[in-house]
Parts: sequence; structure tokens; C-alpha cells
Amino acid sequence: MGCCFSTGSNQDDSKKPLIPDPNLDRKPTNGSDRNADGLSSSRKNDQDLHAAIVQRTALNIIDVSAVISQGLEQHEYMDRARQYSTKVGVLNRTWSQKKPVPLPSLSSQPHQVLAADLVSNADVQQVSKIAAYAYSAISQIKVDAKEELVVQFAIP
Amino acid sequence: MTTALTQGLERIPDQTGYLVISEEGVLASAGELENDEHTAGVIMQMVRTACRFRLHGTAEPPFKRMSVMFEDYVYAVTISGQKVFVVKRQNNQREPVIV
Repeated sequence: MGCCFSTGSNQDDSKKPLIPDPNLDRKPTNGSDRNADGLSSSRKNDQDLHAAIVQRTALNIIDVSAVISQGLEQHEYMDRARQYSTKVGVLNRTWSQKKPVPLPSLSSQPHQVLAADLVSNADVQQVSKIAAYAYSAISQIKVDAKEELVVQFAIP
Repeated sequence: MTTALTQGLERIPDQTGYLVISEEGVLASAGELENDEHTAGVIMQMVRTACRFRLHGTAEPPFKRMSVMFEDYVYAVTISGQKVFVVKRQNNQREPVIV
């Protein structure tokens, strides 16, 4: 089946890169490596993973303690400041728009409106009929399959 | 202030109860709708949805009063001055009897 431990005779150490490439997908090799080399190989994979994480973090970190600044020109600095404040302005607007819409005013005479004649039975029946027709129409919507959805291409 | 709101509602013909609701909650209630927070909540949701309807891209909601009609009674709802007024009225209209 494979030995539990070996000195890694299967791996060509001279050809292995010093800094492992984090983009390389190491998953398919894990199984075979583990069978062949056991402990040392899994430790190597862990090291590779660790190195990948460190590299990714280093790329994402902005070091604010860096004393030597990149040397932004005055106009570049102003441009960026303007860009950032516009972006913040947009975000502020969309955030404040999330507040619920205030109630519109339907009438200045609410008591009069509420005391007015109720909707007549005839109107209610007419609306019910229209709604029933609409419901019936919607429930009759269906797909009329005319052709096969999946066809075979015949490539001569 | 509540008396001014409710006085007019008390005098509505064949009313059996009313609610005055604001964004914060129920301001006044009486009759069959007294302390009826559940109905208040449901009606608020209904009226908010109805207020979103528009006819032909007009700016305001196309109605003055919303009626929720049941067999024997009706909830009549309107909005004025950031308050929702609900009145429960008897539905006395009868079908014409064909003899």
C-alpha cells in the first residue's frame, strides 16, 4: 500500500520552487503524497498553505505605519479626496433612502370621507366578478410546448 | 387633542367602533375596535400597500378611502395628517328582493 514514513525519495527536491506557488491546486496530489510519504508530505502541505495565507494577507494589508510616503502630488491628492467624498455622499444618500416612506395624506376631512356612503353592493359584485375573470385568465396561462427543448446536433 | 380626532368619528352613522393609528401605534380606539392592536396592525399594512398604487404615473395614491368589506360590516380607512383613521360601520345594504 505504501510506507508510513520515508525520507521523501519520491520527491525531486532540487526542482521544487523555494517559495511555493499559492495558485497551484494541491488537493489532487494530497492523497497520493500521503500514501507515499506520510508525515513529511502533510507537513509540507501545511507549510505551503501557511505560506499562501501569509502571502495573501501581506497583499491585502495596508501598512499605515510606513514612514516613507509614496509622495502624492497635490492635484492627485485633491482628486482622490474628491473621489472619496463623492463615494461617501452616494452611500449616505442610499442609506437615508432606506427610511420608510411617510404616510401620504388622502384627505383633509377624514370624518367626512369616512361618513360618506358605503360602496354599493352592485359595485362590490362587479369588482368581484372582474377579479374572478382575472384570476381565471391568469390560471389558464400555460406553456404550449411545440418542439423538443433539447436537440441532438448532427455534425457531419 | 384626541377628543378632536375622535369626536367626528363618534358621530359617524352606524359606526360600531374606531381606531386612530399613527406610525408609533394606536392613538385612540373605541367600541368593537377598542384595544384591537391586531386589527390596527393588519389595516396599517393594507393601507401602506394600497398607497403604493398609482394610476398612469400620477404622484398621489388614486383613492381617498379604502373599504374592507365583509358581509355585515365594513372597515372604512383614510389617512389625514400622518394618522390613519379606521371606522367600523354596519353594512345595512340589502340585496333587492325579487318577488
